Amino acid sequence: MADDKDVLRDVWFGRIPTCFTLNQDEVTEREAEAYYLLLPRVSYLTLVTDKVKKHFLKVMRAEDVEEMWFEYEGTPLKWHYPIGVLFDLHASNSVLPWSITVHFKNFPDRDLLHCPSSSVIEAHFMSSIKEADALKHKSQVVNDMQKKDHKQLWMGLQNDKFDQFWAMNRKLMEYPTEEGGFRYIPFRIYQAMTGNDRPFIQKLFRPVSPEGNAYTLGDLLKEMYPAAITNDGEQKRYQVVIHGIEPLLETPLQWLSEHLSHPDNFLHICVVPTPSD
Amino acid sequence: MTESGRNCRKTDVGVLYRTLRGVLCLMSGCALNEKEFFSCCQLLLQQSEHLRDGWSWEAVQGSEEGYLRKTVLRSVLADCYDAQKQTETASDSVSPVSAHPIQELQQQERTQPVVATCFHSDGIIGDDGDEDDAVCVLSEGSSHVLQYEYHILYSCSYSAPVLYFRAFTLEGRSLTLEDVWSSVHPNFRHCLQNSPLTAITQQEHPLLGQPFFMLHPCRTEEFMRPVLQEAQEQPRPVNYVLLWLSVVGPVVGLDVPLKYCTQLHLSSLQRSTSDLMSSTVETGVRRFARKTCK
Repeated sequence: MADDKDVLRDVWFGRIPTCFTLNQDEVTEREAEAYYLLLPRVSYLTLVTDKVKKHFLKVMRAEDVEEMWFEYEGTPLKWHYPIGVLFDLHASNSVLPWSITVHFKNFPDRDLLHCPSSSVIEAHFMSSIKEADALKHKSQVVNDMQKKDHKQLWMGLQNDKFDQFWAMNRKLMEYPTEEGGFRYIPFRIYQAMTGNDRPFIQKLFRPVSPEGNAYTLGDLLKEMYPAAITNDGEQKRYQVVIHGIEPLLETPLQWLSEHLSHPDNFLHICVVPTPSD
Repeated sequence: MTESGRNCRKTDVGVLYRTLRGVLCLMSGCALNEKEFFSCCQLLLQQSEHLRDGWSWEAVQGSEEGYLRKTVLRSVLADCYDAQKQTETASDSVSPVSAHPIQELQQQERTQPVVATCFHSDGIIGDDGDEDDAVCVLSEGSSHVLQYEYHILYSCSYSAPVLYFRAFTLEGRSLTLEDVWSSVHPNFRHCLQNSPLTAITQQEHPLLGQPFFMLHPCRTEEFMRPVLQEAQEQPRPVNYVLLWLSVVGPVVGLDVPLKYCTQLHLSSLQRSTSDLMSSTVETGVRRFARKTCK
């Protein structure tokens, strides 16, 4: 049990060294220096980049500044995805620090959601938690919580307070012992290179079979994304990445959901092509 | 779609009635599973074909997974952004602007001089080779014509349908949440603003990955339950998706004509379902408003 708690801490305190560079086409009064920051894997870009904005605003005029947005190698970065998911999906096998380009003009409103304030991030975060609980507990646990309990979850994330967050989140990780696990596992599978528009795979999946056997990560992938599984004798084409690591496919899904979920209570799984050396 | 539409006209009533009863029997409680969602949508589609109401089914990867879609051109009056004026004039119509499926606009009598234009730019109208949408009519001052796109998807998390929508000017500018608020009926605006989880928020479309506005589904089961129980007490056949749409659609300016029920031509069924529709729409809307105002 002590080991399991350590996992929770390791997940919470995961960081990605990032270098923010201003887009060349932005109009500046002086040359803008790059800004370096350690980004929390479990947080959201627009929640942790106030310092980045302040830094670049020093060399820009107010009239040249619109809503800030980020891009990596030409791809607009979706702020509503956890930072760790964006990194694993787009840049997991590239050299650190992660190089992100900052923009203040030409917001791509066909690709990105607007983020006018932190209350939008809060609403999005709480909406994910509610949806995860709808899957795990038919919303019973989250609906039994008071407004101040919901606030505690958000404040815990916003202020990087592990204990404050988990004091409340542990309730969302409980289940009746006779069930063996949650009703359904909240998960999303992201594919790095997709031929189609679909941003992720999210379907109903139980953690325990009707006979009472625990389903594994491999079982989930076999059902939802069979291409990610390497068959015997084949060369491994894909990596299945959660929080920057490749868990064994034999890992029970219920354990993954309890320990490797993001603060939004979802298990975000990235399937990326194996790097060819 | 045309194929099923043709079959529909032939066997028509018998098929529809049997399908309706099948849907009712499938209903277990007030949650909707994905198969039931699909059946309800197909039924709605058949009726939409009859009424030329403009709904289409967009399938995902050739599977049964998919969503209903409808594009509507809406002519926005210059003064309709004035909330006060709307409260006075909106008493007998749900939405303060007139909305027409594209085909309807072509056939309507117009008093103003109009310009007929055919455009396919940006996939705004006429994508996927949908010939019906290729020609549309603009009234003078195209900046006052907006294109609304409505999608009905299934949420497996909430076992309920979800309404997504987005809007553009004809020049392709996306409407913001502020712009869209003005098309929300004044009575709902106050309620929705107080309750963020039933509010209209910007979300990523789960199948297309693009920003859409969404009416949050977490309260759907709550307000559908009494509506469905009333229907099941009779018992009357109901189309969950149609019933749900008749409650939430008007909130975002999407009308659902009562003709959806009266077109069935079975006199008893016709009377009972149109009665049911109007009473459940009323009840559902009141309950929806009450719940969202908590």
